[in-house]
Amino acid sequence: MTDTHCPYCSLQCGMTLSRKGPRLEVSERSFPVNEGALCRKGWTAAGLRGSRERLTTPMVRDRVTGEWSAATWDEALDLIASRLEALRDEHGADANAVFGGGGLTNEKAYQLGKFARVALGTSQIDYNGRWCMSSAASAGNQAFGVDRGLPFPLADIEQTDVCVLVGSNLAETMPPAARHLDRLRENGGKVVVIDPRLTPTGERADLFLQPVPGTDLPLALGVLHLLDAAGAVDEDYIAERTTGFEDVRRSVAAWWPEMVERVSGVEASQVRELAALLANAEKVTVLTARGAEQHAQGTATVLAWLNVALALGMPGKAYAGYGCLTGQGNGQGGREHGQKADQLPGYRMIDDPAARAHVAKVWGVDAASIPGKGRSAYELLDALGTPKGPKSLLVFGSNIVVSAPNATHIASRLADLDLLVVADMVMSETAALADVVLPVTQWAEETGTMTNLEGRVILRNQAISAPDGVKNDLDIITGLATRLGAASTWPTDPATIFDELRAASQGGKADYSGITYDRIRDEDGVFWPCPEGSEGTPRMFAEDFFHADGRARFIDVAHRGPAEAPTADYPLHLTTGRVLAQYQSGAQTRRIKDLPDDGAFVELHPLLADRVGAHDGDPVVVRTPRGEMKAPARIVTTIRPDTVFVPFHWVGANKLTNDALDPSSRMPEFKVCAAAVSA
Amino acid sequence: MAAARLVEGLVARGLGPQTTVLAEEQHAPYNRILLSAVLEGTHRPGALALREKQWYADRGVDLRLNSLVVDIHRDTKTVELADRTTVPYDAVVLATGAIPTLPPIRGVVRMDGSLDPRVQAFRSLDDCARLLDTLHDHPRSAVIVGGGLLGLQVARALAVRGIETEIVEGRDHLLSSQVDASAGKVLKRSMAKLGTQVYLGARATRLTDEGLKLDNGYTLETDLVVLTAGGRPRANLARRAELTVNRGIVVDDQLRSVDDPDVYAIGDCAEHDGNVTGFVSPAWEQAGVLADVLAGDEAAYQGHRVVARLRATDLDVCVLGSPEDEAGEVVEIANPIKGTHRKLVVRDGRIVAGALVGDLSRVGLITQAFDRQTVLGEHEAGQLLLPEPSKSPRPELPDDAEVCACAGVSAGRIRACRSLEDVRETTRATTGCGGCAPTVRQLLATRPSGSQLSATQLSLEGTT
Repeated sequence: MTDTHCPYCSLQCGMTLSRKGPRLEVSERSFPVNEGALCRKGWTAAGLRGSRERLTTPMVRDRVTGEWSAATWDEALDLIASRLEALRDEHGADANAVFGGGGLTNEKAYQLGKFARVALGTSQIDYNGRWCMSSAASAGNQAFGVDRGLPFPLADIEQTDVCVLVGSNLAETMPPAARHLDRLRENGGKVVVIDPRLTPTGERADLFLQPVPGTDLPLALGVLHLLDAAGAVDEDYIAERTTGFEDVRRSVAAWWPEMVERVSGVEASQVRELAALLANAEKVTVLTARGAEQHAQGTATVLAWLNVALALGMPGKAYAGYGCLTGQGNGQGGREHGQKADQLPGYRMIDDPAARAHVAKVWGVDAASIPGKGRSAYELLDALGTPKGPKSLLVFGSNIVVSAPNATHIASRLADLDLLVVADMVMSETAALADVVLPVTQWAEETGTMTNLEGRVILRNQAISAPDGVKNDLDIITGLATRLGAASTWPTDPATIFDELRAASQGGKADYSGITYDRIRDEDGVFWPCPEGSEGTPRMFAEDFFHADGRARFIDVAHRGPAEAPTADYPLHLTTGRVLAQYQSGAQTRRIKDLPDDGAFVELHPLLADRVGAHDGDPVVVRTPRGEMKAPARIVTTIRPDTVFVPFHWVGANKLTNDALDPSSRMPEFKVCAAAVSA
Repeated sequence: MAAARLVEGLVARGLGPQTTVLAEEQHAPYNRILLSAVLEGTHRPGALALREKQWYADRGVDLRLNSLVVDIHRDTKTVELADRTTVPYDAVVLATGAIPTLPPIRGVVRMDGSLDPRVQAFRSLDDCARLLDTLHDHPRSAVIVGGGLLGLQVARALAVRGIETEIVEGRDHLLSSQVDASAGKVLKRSMAKLGTQVYLGARATRLTDEGLKLDNGYTLETDLVVLTAGGRPRANLARRAELTVNRGIVVDDQLRSVDDPDVYAIGDCAEHDGNVTGFVSPAWEQAGVLADVLAGDEAAYQGHRVVARLRATDLDVCVLGSPEDEAGEVVEIANPIKGTHRKLVVRDGRIVAGALVGDLSRVGLITQAFDRQTVLGEHEAGQLLLPEPSKSPRPELPDDAEVCACAGVSAGRIRACRSLEDVRETTRATTGCGGCAPTVRQLLATRPSGSQLSATQLSLEGTT
């Protein structure tokens, strides 16, 4: 029996794994986030163990014939190392690039960042977390001076008065979290859900608003205007704890309810209803998720809602405030320790000389040798194989061709590489395009820490040994670093790496130096910041925000609208999202036989179905300026009639999505683009 | 408001330091749309203020309040202020708005040129403040002259404050420039229900000590007369500068005067393609286009679709475009008894105009289809006007219906269980998000009698 956590989303639900012969069995375990509950993805998480789809030997593909052949680990790693060296010699260090993932443990994320900067000497490293919560991260940094998804434990929402969920379908995407919402309602609190689709989360709402995709921002501006007009803003809090309100107050005066209605499609009366609900509540919690964040104005959208929370005086107040519901398992930790193009461990900025000096000392290298800021995830992929872009890519924990926006284009970029290496446990769609595929362990076969959506650092314990022929990502990093003759030391033991990470994060914003594996085990996880000697920080901002003056910032934001507006040829909005039984690109969940894999579908309203002649269950074609896909129609009254929805777990949805990027977070606009549907 | 939006656009394009704003008013710009909300008491006056003086200063914009422009000298490219100083320009933008047209009522303007103390105009923040001041004297009744959007809003605002209000409208129905006679009738009836009497086809001719005399012989006793009749483009500066003025200052698609490439006009004072508008959204659209033009970018104003929305408690009106002028097929659903009148004008499958009175359901959707000129299906315009089907009570769940999405459990599998504990153990329903727990309990409670027997047996077993 091994106590550990679920392999999937950012809740990191506690679970216990027991060995049953060669197989593993999941059972419930009490942990504050999930209280023993699991969704079907969690219950069936062990289903890949012993699966015939697991890769158990490195594979090398012949570029001419396309044929795969098995290789030994030494052959594969020698091959990769020699190619990386040759590319570096010919084109410079930035010819080699690394792409990580928000599902990797902290130890792996840390080691991958160090590998890129020290062993490859490249600035070209980023990760798929850019496509997760990066807009909220950027907004949090601007407003609070720090980015921790939830600055309070998730269970705190049970004690708030009004919880506003902007673009979150947590009842399907992280089901055990919905228990906290239900308890909030049992306590007499109200739930507000804002989503273009009436989801199972929306069904639980006391007030449900259904805006046009891409208009959560003006909705927030309109709500703030009404709060100000009613004299419901907390002037004392604003004066004592914030700066910048006056500009924001004035700019929202242009957003009266009927103006909001025209732009967002939410009736003015509902905007008033929401404002009244917030004005009369003592404790308000605003939570954003991908629906608000995955936009070319995602950062501005989050800031607009943050402004609402700040104007009400909520952040720092008990059982109130603003938070982001991070998506990926280690979306939080994954961005803190160096696999992001602009950051070093401890959430240090790579262009900060003091940060470089500190990390260089831990690594035992010259600070000047650490490269500067690289390209963001999409820009990195977009540059692959171009004259100025990287010639090789090493991929860990990501299935790019399913999850990247404008995926057909990205697949063509991958095809132009001199070398594509993918470490994965199965032959994912991206692995299938690689020159070398390296079989790696899954979560139950390794130990490491993750940082969940609450900023709580938790420990996954190894429950079972890896199948023969399979290695840990950490072994691969060390194997390559050694072959490349890299400076510094390259341990493979997670605990040793975690100690190095603690030292590297010490004094940074995300300070882990006081966290140990033992403390995590004893305390159900430890919340950062946790300098040595600290108890950790479950709740932030009670006294101060993280800017030098201790104040939070109101940021004046304007609504520009989606990057791609509907046209006569593409008259609809397309939005994308998840279904309960699948996770992300589906590389794991689509291979678990106990999870239904019904394939992609196109959700549309009866009014629209009638317009285009679609019938439930019959195929329809969705087109955007970037591509098209065909899937069965699912006709539902729960979606806006001017919007279609496609889940993104299968190849298809992201052939359609727009690669327009947010100016500050570099988040692509996954959640809205112009589309046409035909039967 | 047009000027304020233009300056924001110029600042965003880095042209702040090259910009001078000459404003006659003493207030920094504010949102005039919301004046009736202030009157009604739902808005603090301070919440109307757009940018403050400091905002302009911080961005290098030279904002000069209390600066009345008296002449534009196109030959020397300067404007002249009332104090005879001049300001040079490369480009000058006229955003002078409209002047209210006072109806010809004798006795409104006294011999000395001032307004009778019972009379209030309603157009500016100062007007609004004065009107609010007069409310301290607790007027019992008020007569609103003008039955347009503004008239209805003011009437409702005063009525909400407990003042007996009456409306005098010269045309034969309310909102006559926006809606048809039958919708106007519905509105009149709704106003009557809300306690406001409406006099149609009647002109106020004279204000005397007895009250406001109408041309139909009535005299309305009142303490307060509010003039809300329309406005006309304020184009005297342009006229003096010998620019072409029809109803407004005539401009091309770049909002440029047709006579002078360095003179522009936007907002209520401008006339584009034969149209002048009194609404904010076209003015803002023009401001955005002009900011691009002045920044040297390609941009053209191609007219604008107007959505007029009444802002008043208990009175719902939304007018899309010009439903009385637009050609097309008319889809209409009215229930005068309920006080609703909903009409869409459809041409080539597109909603080209509409009027929704008394029922704004789906207004957000209809407006989107109108703004985007979406081509709708054959039945769609009609369906948009029908009430949304209410959710029927959930029928008995068939055995194959999914009850627990988290664990993928059907009603049949729940029915096969004996207890909640049994459900948890064997199906894992209720162990995820917990949302299915009420349904599961209900299914367990309503199992067929045979299984109830076994439930009894179970409890008996428990006691032995």
